[in-house]
Amino acid sequence: MAEINRINRRWYSGMDTSEDWWAVWLGLAFFFLGLLSVTGIDFVGWIAYPRTWVDISKSIAPLGKSYKGLGALGSIGVTYVMFTIATCIGAYCMRWDLKKFFLGWTFIFFLTYVLWIIGNHAFFAANIMNRVKYGLTTSLSLGGGGAYILALFVGLIIGNFFKNFAAFLSEAAKPEWFIKTAIVFLGVKVGYMAMKAADFVFELAITGACATIVAYLIFWPGTYAIARKIFKLPRKMSAVLASAISICGVSAAVATGGAVRCKPLIPVMVSALVVVYAVIELVILPPIFTATLIDEPIVAGSAMGMAVKTDGADAAAGAVMDELMRNRKMNMDGTKWEEGWITTSAVMTKIWIDMFIGLWAFVLALVWVYRVDRRPGEIVPVSEVWHRFPKFVLGYFATWIVYLIILFFLPDLVPNAKIGAVPVEKGMRTLFFMLTFTSIGIITNFKKLVEAKFGKMLGVYCIALFLYIIPVALIVAYIFHHGMTVPVVH
Amino acid sequence: MIELIISHNGKNWTAKNDLLSAEAPTLEKLDMELERQVKQKGCLEKGENVDLFMSFDNSIIPQWMRQYSQHYFNRIIRLKK
Repeated sequence: MAEINRINRRWYSGMDTSEDWWAVWLGLAFFFLGLLSVTGIDFVGWIAYPRTWVDISKSIAPLGKSYKGLGALGSIGVTYVMFTIATCIGAYCMRWDLKKFFLGWTFIFFLTYVLWIIGNHAFFAANIMNRVKYGLTTSLSLGGGGAYILALFVGLIIGNFFKNFAAFLSEAAKPEWFIKTAIVFLGVKVGYMAMKAADFVFELAITGACATIVAYLIFWPGTYAIARKIFKLPRKMSAVLASAISICGVSAAVATGGAVRCKPLIPVMVSALVVVYAVIELVILPPIFTATLIDEPIVAGSAMGMAVKTDGADAAAGAVMDELMRNRKMNMDGTKWEEGWITTSAVMTKIWIDMFIGLWAFVLALVWVYRVDRRPGEIVPVSEVWHRFPKFVLGYFATWIVYLIILFFLPDLVPNAKIGAVPVEKGMRTLFFMLTFTSIGIITNFKKLVEAKFGKMLGVYCIALFLYIIPVALIVAYIFHHGMTVPVVH
Repeated sequence: MIELIISHNGKNWTAKNDLLSAEAPTLEKLDMELERQVKQKGCLEKGENVDLFMSFDNSIIPQWMRQYSQHYFNRIIRLKK
């Protein structure tokens, strides 16, 4: 491997070789294609998007009106070709095994679409308000959440019962890459939503940032104390665990491991624990929050963002909860909440958390180098903050800001801009969410928990997460977000 | 400034470039060994400071984890004459 791929020496290191940057390039490429609709031509409406159905022939169609002629198979074909080219270019630049990636991607892509279509059958998706339209007397009222759950479930079956096949697919099963790309697309949605409710978006962003700072200051010391005082773990391991459990999972474990200069094996072990726990949270938290926090949907979303580690599991949990809550609300009193706000509150909180990790790790490094280890002559480079900054966030804000500029300064372009925004923020974003669910399942092997003999680390994680992080996340989210309700569709 | 690549082989920290190569169980010992080699090779002129910039070899982060994070740490050691 060339040296440039191994080290982060310059500010631009990794721009062509890291998944983080490739989420930006992939997201921005399709964002710009969508933005070209301001010229009056729709370049992204070919995206295949499943609808709630009882007649299979009406289960999927292109999102753009100008692409209706493609039909179901045509739009799936174009979607496959476009994203296969884009992702294979990324895989090639990241020096992956291209043949293995292509084959794995192809399988995951078509499996995901099949599950997406099945999950949108009216029996799963329809709610009490529209099930009659589909000729049904009963349905599960899961909305789009049915497809997400199905994708995760099938992925987990592959990951846990067909391990050789899962290992083969792992070259293409990249949930963090997919979700980071989806989050760049989500920036389009937030910008698009700001066109309708700018004040709400800004309030959500600011309260999310405040909640994140408060959470950081409460979560980390508490979790560190649990590891040190109750489980008597060594300092460095406690610090890595505290960051992983209380901040942002694997990336925090790696950042903190580096900051406190511990052997790389420790963050690797902790990370294996993080991904399994994140999936457990993804499965159990959305239905619990939906059942208990229906009157405070934004509190639930924000708490999810603070509690679920890894971007993929958090965004996925937010998306499931978005579907479950909106359908529950409609079943309860007929109120139709706008789609995406609950997901956005979960993701926005998580993005603030991700953004601060570089700074937090830098502070930890200063504390460790100058106060704990006191190694003579060691200097912590400030560039460490940049190297640990999540780059996909740049894509998220760039797409968001461009749509805000159109909204405030070029209002004449808004109608055409919306034509290109919808296939990106709705079709492509949901496709990459779905790919994330399938991929998370494929790479999650629950047996690792038994095999790895995590011992005390498992205890720290379990106690800190369920008895400390989640309750505190709910309290902090309530303090900053209570009373904020999702805009209603009229 | 002298640039090196730092890594961990499961047992020891390692730091090397074309001129220097050191291996030690702790970072303190690694730094001491590097300082010794720098002095021995005459890289430390009288009255001058020399910075050793160590970039971590991130390829030792397992493949499955790189999608979450691709940076462990870089560090600088300032050697004084």
